[in-house]
Amino acid sequence: MIPTSLPESLISTLPGDHYTSPEIFAAEQERIFESMWFCAARSSDLGTPGAYRTVTVGRESVLLTRTRDDAVRAFLNVCRHRGARLCTQESGEVRRAFQCPYHAWTYSLEGKLVAAPNLTKMPDIDRTAYGLATVAVREWLGCVWVCLADDPPSFEEQVVAEVVARLGDAGAIERYGVDGLAVGRRIVYDVRANWKLIVENFMECYHCATIHPELTEVLPEFADGYAAQYFVGHGAEFGAGIKGFTVDGSEGVDRIPTVTADQDRRYYAITIKPQVFVNLVPDHVIFHRMYPLAADRTVIECDWLYLPEVVASGTDVSRSVELFDRVNRQDFAACERCQPGMGSRLYARGGVLVPSEHHIGAFHAFVLDRLGTR
Amino acid sequence: MIPVCRLADLPRGEAFRLETVPPVAVFHTDEGELFAIDDTCTHQDASLSDGWLEGCEVECPLHASKFDLRTGAVDAPPARLPVRTHQVLVEDGMVYVLLCDTPPPLPPCAAARVVGAAE
Repeated sequence: MIPTSLPESLISTLPGDHYTSPEIFAAEQERIFESMWFCAARSSDLGTPGAYRTVTVGRESVLLTRTRDDAVRAFLNVCRHRGARLCTQESGEVRRAFQCPYHAWTYSLEGKLVAAPNLTKMPDIDRTAYGLATVAVREWLGCVWVCLADDPPSFEEQVVAEVVARLGDAGAIERYGVDGLAVGRRIVYDVRANWKLIVENFMECYHCATIHPELTEVLPEFADGYAAQYFVGHGAEFGAGIKGFTVDGSEGVDRIPTVTADQDRRYYAITIKPQVFVNLVPDHVIFHRMYPLAADRTVIECDWLYLPEVVASGTDVSRSVELFDRVNRQDFAACERCQPGMGSRLYARGGVLVPSEHHIGAFHAFVLDRLGTR
Repeated sequence: MIPVCRLADLPRGEAFRLETVPPVAVFHTDEGELFAIDDTCTHQDASLSDGWLEGCEVECPLHASKFDLRTGAVDAPPARLPVRTHQVLVEDGMVYVLLCDTPPPLPPCAAARVVGAAE
């Protein structure tokens, strides 16, 4: 028998259909991923003018590129003429322009229509109005953030404020110099689970002692089940014998010099809704970007960021990569384990959250608020 | 002699499209030289003044045919026929072209338009 009221220790999760329903996922795409600022790529992915990436944001394919004046631009990846997808590769480089492979409508890196067959016979076609549809762009923490909304919300209020709320201080993240770090390693995970299961998992540490033996060894307080995200401004301290944030607790690489003494030997974790997780340790930053693709499928691109000289010198970073790569694989296996259960009749009204997970309730309230169904 | 524009209004690296029939493209190269050629690519109707200027060569923006601005010759396919070149003069800061009087080798649709204009 399923009880109708919950004991005080427990609060409810979202109902099971919120993790399986294509209709609810479509509403999330529209009201969350296409309405909020979305972290689309690492700025260094667009290293030179003409370098491009295509990413899925909500229901749209978005084309990111860099112009000759070194600005990052974003467009809907759709030809204005007959709607062909302009770039079909995930990344690449064009010399001067994007050209539709169908009728050769040709757009500058700034998105202006520069040429098309017989275009000069149609002088009434405004080359800007019939250029690519522009998407709002911001660069922060060395990443490209886009917003597909006609009237984007304040970046400071949506994105920056979330980091400040977690770390308790606007300057705390600045001291990691995230925008100046270099990608030492990137691993892309294709996870067969709803994006919210991944967010919820990242927010709690009730599971840590069970599925993360290496992480709990490095951060012993994680065995208590209270995540670094439970307390404002709290970073989990490295264990006594731990030299660095590595798979075996051995020495890390060169420390980020601007990290302060009270940030040293500590791990901070931040969730930036709706799709970014950041982990801060003294010698590197782990940056996750999620790309929700379906109700039961999410791609996660994870960058391990180090001082540029660490990466340039070819220093072995494999032991620090190995630690969080294992954590990621352990977490995503757990999320994939939950996904089929979301469709069970047992889960029709959802599961429960224990006290060390109650802060996830705020995430659920956020989702329902965005969907307008709270 | 047809007036084009003031030289001051045609910076280096830029092109001006003269709306004659057929149209003419006047280029001011990065090295400071002026050249005039037929504006329409001989492969498909595209404006070479919208193309990419590099040295004494322009690349068609549509299919990357390249033409030598000095001779009008094709430097890179898919175009096969050359474009005509025209004489450029500068007098008192004004750019002029003197159109060449041989018939233009144009792509079929653009050629039809010239014939239509002449009728």
